Amino acid sequence: MLPDELKVKLREVIAAAESPREKAIDVMFEIQELQGWMSDQAMVEAAELLGMTPLELEELATFYDYIYRSPVGKYVIKVCDSTVCWLEGRRRVVDYIASRLAIPMGGTSADGLFTLLPVCCIGYCDRAPAMVINKRVFGNLTPEKIDRILSQLAKNADFSGSE
Amino acid sequence: MPRLIIDEREIEVPEGTKVIDAAQRLGIVIPRFCYHEALGSVGACRMCAVKFLQGPFKGVQMSCMVDARDGMVVSTTDEEAVQFRQRVIELLMMNHPLDCPVCDEGGQCLLQDETVSGGHARRRFPGPKRTYRDQYLGPYIKHEMNRCIHCYRCSRFYQEFCGYRDLGPLQIGSRMYFGRFSDGPLESPFSGNLVDICPTGVYTDKTARFKLRRWDLQRAPSVCNQCSLGCATVANGHYRGVMRIEARFNRDVNGYFLCDAGRFGFSYANGGQGRRERPLLPRIAGVSASAPSALASAREALENISQKYGPRAIAAAGSNRSSLESQAMLALICKTRDWRGPVFFFDPSERGKTVAAVQELSSDIAVSMREIEKADLVIVAGADPLNEAPMCALAIRQAARKNAPIVTIDSRPLFLPCEFTHFPVAPEKIEHYLAMLVWKAVEKVAENPGKDAEMFCRQLGALSLESAPPEAMAAFSELLLASKRPVIICGTDVTRESTPSFAAGCARLLKCAQKEAGLFFLLPGAGSFGSALLSGTQSQTFGDLVEDIEKGVVRALVVSECDPFHYYPDHARLERAVSKLEQLIAIDYFPSETVERASIFYPASTVFETGSTYINQEGRLRFAQPVHCGGAPISPGEHPPRVYSGLVPGGDHLPAWKALCQIASMPREDGVPAPEKFIPSVLPAFSGLGAGPIYPVDGPRLLSPGPGFTSQWSQRGEEAGEGAPDFELLLVEWMFGTSEFAAWSDSLDAAVCEPHMSINTKDAARAGLSDGDRVSVELDGGAFEIAVSVSERTAEKVLVVPRHQLLDWQKIKGFPVRILAGKIRKI
Ligand code: SF4
Ligand code: SF4
Ligand code: FES
Ligand code: FES
Repeated sequence: MLPDELKVKLREVIAAAESPREKAIDVMFEIQELQGWMSDQAMVEAAELLGMTPLELEELATFYDYIYRSPVGKYVIKVCDSTVCWLEGRRRVVDYIASRLAIPMGGTSADGLFTLLPVCCIGYCDRAPAMVINKRVFGNLTPEKIDRILSQLAKNADFSGSE
Repeated sequence: MPRLIIDEREIEVPEGTKVIDAAQRLGIVIPRFCYHEALGSVGACRMCAVKFLQGPFKGVQMSCMVDARDGMVVSTTDEEAVQFRQRVIELLMMNHPLDCPVCDEGGQCLLQDETVSGGHARRRFPGPKRTYRDQYLGPYIKHEMNRCIHCYRCSRFYQEFCGYRDLGPLQIGSRMYFGRFSDGPLESPFSGNLVDICPTGVYTDKTARFKLRRWDLQRAPSVCNQCSLGCATVANGHYRGVMRIEARFNRDVNGYFLCDAGRFGFSYANGGQGRRERPLLPRIAGVSASAPSALASAREALENISQKYGPRAIAAAGSNRSSLESQAMLALICKTRDWRGPVFFFDPSERGKTVAAVQELSSDIAVSMREIEKADLVIVAGADPLNEAPMCALAIRQAARKNAPIVTIDSRPLFLPCEFTHFPVAPEKIEHYLAMLVWKAVEKVAENPGKDAEMFCRQLGALSLESAPPEAMAAFSELLLASKRPVIICGTDVTRESTPSFAAGCARLLKCAQKEAGLFFLLPGAGSFGSALLSGTQSQTFGDLVEDIEKGVVRALVVSECDPFHYYPDHARLERAVSKLEQLIAIDYFPSETVERASIFYPASTVFETGSTYINQEGRLRFAQPVHCGGAPISPGEHPPRVYSGLVPGGDHLPAWKALCQIASMPREDGVPAPEKFIPSVLPAFSGLGAGPIYPVDGPRLLSPGPGFTSQWSQRGEEAGEGAPDFELLLVEWMFGTSEFAAWSDSLDAAVCEPHMSINTKDAARAGLSDGDRVSVELDGGAFEIAVSVSERTAEKVLVVPRHQLLDWQKIKGFPVRILAGKIRKI
């Protein structure tokens, strides 16, 4: 169930739009911000707010890489899966992260902090291999750099529960 | 008109024709997946590549995306294009499970055809195949996503063409998935078309699953006889059973598609289980008999009655599901033998409306469904297209997609799969609302429209002033004024007797106001038009027959393809009447109550076994060829029929009209009379149609230029006063659950929902009812229980109840039914 305050806020967002469905992505982002992912229940409720059918919202949700239809970790690591990164050792980056976190591609670490996913070119080709974690982009990845980034994130998470 | 050259042959095509269609006119079928004439071009599959050698484009292009232009020179066989297509099909086949041997599409699969046409035979890609989880899509459609080639036909058909919103494209890239949000039955009552439209085996017909191979089937052009539209179908037979119905293209009627009721409602013909077992053996006094003896004793019994009481003691009844052959034979028998009838209608109002509609419909204002699609404004008056004639709702949607405003004036809480504005009004107000709408638009009627038009116009004006127009109406009057091709769709179910003529008058008046106005009636059944042609305005109805039986004037009743117990509003009275009869002779293919009670029963053949003619609601001849018939070898192969029976091979039953002919010992010169002879003898309009196969499968329209304005509409009955405290009970059709076909086809069971009674919000509040309550409604002949559905979209002062198979509504005694508020009790 979506919390009532969130629903009130979403209704306002939707009311401000010329046609409700143009706010579909914004609504899903708002919900994800709070709940981390879009559950089936959240999809059905969001669709109702937007005057769409769950299927119509699902068409959008599953089209975009940044809307999650299953639970993800606090940090979603998306390693670039396009040509330049392939050439520059993307495979090694993935293998390294996977073994460090002991998860396969698509998996979430046991502590619930990290999820590993592929993403298509993120425009960091000049700094390949590259990855995005939540909204930050990292290039020129080496094992050391990855270690640094991941430990930092894990530490931050311990402190405050937020970035 | 552009002229172009395709594969060294020249052709001239209308402006806007795609190259892929231009080629088809030359008989060159360019490979395609995503392109479909009804859906248009999207260029999604890249399969239709051809090479443009000269003209405004050069090189390999998609022939479905390019309009034919002057001077184009196109090659479909150019090496570059051929190779392009070969690569495309190789790519599309990369993930295909190659499960043709267990796929129901096999043998009629566009993917198979195009794989061969593209010359792809060997898989080169060594990687794993992508696989999907399939969904449960309900009782009719099986889902096998691994076979998908991502052409988007299904989602475009489902969402854009039909307007339903629970199936569509999901995911992205190679994960593309076509399905629902979650498992569950498809909501669209047009879902069966997915089977036809998907070029692969993703959606297959569950009712036919694993039963057949395309090349084993006997196929014949047939016609759906489940509503008055008469959509074109292909009936697929196998071992003397109907296996599947497919849509057959007919430009004027159904286009490429069918509704699910028509597609899946055939199982009655194969015989069901238990009480639905199709009666295949003749019976005399409840005991099985041979066909000749049943026919002979019927003949004898009738002769006796005729001698004892005179021929008028014999009455004959048909129905709106009888073929024109049976109807005409009944009429001919009554004429020659002086029997009473034939009776085709159950009450005078149904007769009045059907006959009026048929008389009013003239060739100058009648439109086809194709023309509805092109209308720039559609008025639905007293009709529920989705339930009474489902494919008509799709035609209306096509008009709406081109921005035609859609206005509905009806007592029911209508639904259409498109945007529309609904005015919920009681039946007696439908004409008023129509008048208000039309009045403004006909102000500019031509100088001298003639006396009749002027008179109608004056009356229209007076009527439009009788009640205050609702606010939204004015805007639509303006739109109607500005429209060029408005169409009025008028029903004959809940309307008053004068309404069909009134609607025709409105259409004629719009015509006088320089519009290409059209008129489209919905009639009760596939045989309604024919029965109206054969009945005068004063002909007897079944109600009159019941009285005659009670008075002892009628001693024998011959009913052909007709079950009065399904339609007659007073079951108990009919039961008593029937028991008074000396003979009840029934000829039918349904195991109906009438058949149960018949003293002599003869099993008739169905539309699938007999050549049958229907005249659809726009007067168009629809001929259904038999797909399998007794005596004909089963082709191919020599397998015996699936069902073993005591019948002599080749001695299967006669169509109703032939049986009728025998029991009435009709004079015949050379064996069996031919329909092309006896139909014209009772319906002169048929005399011009020639002999032989009397008309093409998709026949002409049988309409005269038109009676002009008639005054039938002015014969308006007395209405109960405004202040009357009671409700009018309206019995209505539902797409699933009210027809005889639904009652006897187990294949439709899964689509039948519980009946409910619709009532207006204000009325419900006054009666203390809320949505979902169950009530008992007390009628003159007893009470029935039903759930309540409350809606603002239902007119006030009416109760809308389906003639549902799960509801014994045949206690209402007679029409119209008025119910005092106190007779509705919550339980
Ligand atoms: S399911 Fe069939 S119609 Fe739909 S995209 Fe796939 S192949 Fe095309
Ligand atoms: S619309 Fe009517 S005629 Fe057409 S398929 Fe459906 S039931 Fe049959
Ligand atoms: S290919 Fe990886 S960032 Fe562009
Ligand atoms: S048919 Fe032309 S691209 Fe699909």
